[in-house]
Amino acid sequence: MRFIDPAQDPWRTPSDDGARPQSHLLLSHEQWSSRRAEFSGARPLGLIVPNTLDVELLHDDLPRFALIALQFPKWTDGRAYSQARLLRARLRFQGEVRATGEVLVDMLPLLHRSGVDTVLMRADQSLDSAQRALRFFAGHYQGDVHEARPAFGRSAA
Amino acid sequence: MYSYTDFDRQFVHARAAQFRDQLQRHLAGQLGEEEFRPLRLQNGWYVQRHAPMLRIAVPYGELSSKQLRQLAVIARTHDRGYGHFTTRQNLQFNWIPLPQAADVMDLLADVDMHGIQTSGNCVRNITSDALAGIAPDEEVDPRPYCEILRQWSTLHPEFAFLPRKFKIAVIGAHEDRAAIGWHDIGLRAHKNDAGEIGFKVLVGGGMGRTPVIGTVVSEFVPWQQILVFVEAILRVYNRYGRRDNMYKARIKILVKAEGERFIQSVQREFASILERDAGGAEHLIPQAELDRVARHFVLPAGVHAAADDDSAWRGDTPLAFQRWLERNVHAHRLPGYRAVTLSLKRAGQAPGDATADQMDAAAELADRFSVGELRVTHDQNLLLPWVRTRDLRLLWEAARKASFATPNIGFLTDMIACPGGDFCGLANARSIPIAAAINERFDDLDTLYDIGDIDLHISGCINSCGHHHSGHIGILGVDKDGAEWYQVTVAGSDGSRLSGASVPGKVIGPSFAADEVPDVIEALIDTYRAQRTSDERFIDTARRIGVPPFRAAADAVRRSTARAEAAA
Repeated sequence: MRFIDPAQDPWRTPSDDGARPQSHLLLSHEQWSSRRAEFSGARPLGLIVPNTLDVELLHDDLPRFALIALQFPKWTDGRAYSQARLLRARLRFQGEVRATGEVLVDMLPLLHRSGVDTVLMRADQSLDSAQRALRFFAGHYQGDVHEARPAFGRSAA
Repeated sequence: MYSYTDFDRQFVHARAAQFRDQLQRHLAGQLGEEEFRPLRLQNGWYVQRHAPMLRIAVPYGELSSKQLRQLAVIARTHDRGYGHFTTRQNLQFNWIPLPQAADVMDLLADVDMHGIQTSGNCVRNITSDALAGIAPDEEVDPRPYCEILRQWSTLHPEFAFLPRKFKIAVIGAHEDRAAIGWHDIGLRAHKNDAGEIGFKVLVGGGMGRTPVIGTVVSEFVPWQQILVFVEAILRVYNRYGRRDNMYKARIKILVKAEGERFIQSVQREFASILERDAGGAEHLIPQAELDRVARHFVLPAGVHAAADDDSAWRGDTPLAFQRWLERNVHAHRLPGYRAVTLSLKRAGQAPGDATADQMDAAAELADRFSVGELRVTHDQNLLLPWVRTRDLRLLWEAARKASFATPNIGFLTDMIACPGGDFCGLANARSIPIAAAINERFDDLDTLYDIGDIDLHISGCINSCGHHHSGHIGILGVDKDGAEWYQVTVAGSDGSRLSGASVPGKVIGPSFAADEVPDVIEALIDTYRAQRTSDERFIDTARRIGVPPFRAAADAVRRSTARAEAAA
């Protein structure tokens, strides 16, 4: 899991500065849907995906994106976990899957196992606690995007 | 019963350590109440009227004497000396100070127990038939599947923050002793014509404000595919269940709103997992895994089929013993054995409550008479699953001494009741004094015998923990202008053969005052006794004659509510 430092983060939305940056452009789903032709070329594109979107609809577009930014408007709204899992296991998305919004320390084990690989935590969260939160369990019962086999599949191997 | 592997044991200890870390951050002020709340809920800690309540999972109701003794220790050293068994086969404590929470989790982990997912918007402890594995009418022993589902749903990373709580019940007998139609998912294991095992799957049952009976989503999902099928249901629910209104967030609302489209979505998702997902087939259950888990549920050591043997007590059967045999002793699939209910419904104690001493006494009875095993039943009693027929008389005497032998199983006083307003922060009204008043009114065993089988269910609020919707008589606590009132329903059903197809009861009129409730119940019972045909039970008569005669009888005993209405 990589923890994003906003000061070092190269991703910019089109509105972040007047001139459209030449690299690492993070688009809203609406911007992408309505103006996709403008974003051709080789620069890295990222997409902010609302948690109500059916990510399977992105199937054909995914190769264009280096980053998918999932959203947790409230940390107890768990829809983006399913989106992350579908992006990885069903759509085979290899780029960065980032959790944004109200991202708290205790979500990290779930985010990691669902396929999120970078997090932009809420500013008040402790990096130490977050790293500790990732270390409590040596293994789990059910499979996840990293280890597809459940415990019973692993012990049989 | 299932015994933990090293993996299981490390897992619950890891969970206890994780919770200790969260609790310490909370107590140190680094984790605010709002953010700690969902974390403690998913470990069973629920802040109540007086103190946090701890709900401990008893997976599908199976409990060992060793575990029960540890619960007694916790009751004595951390609580005020008693606990409460619930309709979901769990145990609740009400008085444990939060700073002691992590120590209690360690004590539980020491006996392979925990509070994981006993609360919160996640998959809750899986419930089952209290007679699983021992019932004569059983087609398939549901316990290995319960255990596989328990493991799969434990800390599932994708489904920890569902729109709302999610309850699964599994049975494998012809009789439904787990009210599966009232669950978010109800599973009935059965065999098809080829003798293969699979599950009938009901989705979207639930109580609360909007009582709904589950919809059949599949008649037969082969057992190998059940985890994948449940995953498909949960994914559809996680993505599309309502999150804008807590009262419309249960899966029942989604199923009702979408109907056939919901079923199609589940089927499509199920096919997608298996056909398209990386590792999608990994959760198909292999025969070897079923065999591994099923080995935990073979006959316990020392249990062997034998001839029924009543020679030790034949000819010495006092009436109280006969009644106990009739009401508290149940048929068993294994010759020479019976299942015996230890009644937790007796005068002077709240339904489902047990003191630490009673827990120890029940553990002692389990060791002496039932190879150390007990079950928690859906109607809040304890049950000994492996009692030799020749021991019944000895057990009866011992159970009597320990206050477990009230021969009232299935009778009016064997009522289901939530803890209500005496403990629960959600309740609108108290349940326990109502239960006590009814118990006092119907303390004559002959009368109870004459009334016969009847389900009386009492909830202190619309959250329906006391299952009032499914009672032949249901009592629901409501709040009007800060006072406690009680709405009464008749003819609800939990889906058992006695009760008929699952259905919520019908309201018999405006709410009653607390002091009117025992009279109302008596009036309903008198109406039944006056109107019944020879062998009708209360539920049969209620269904046949409908609400009006009951309503008239209940209205006739109104006192305070009649005065209030006259004054209005």
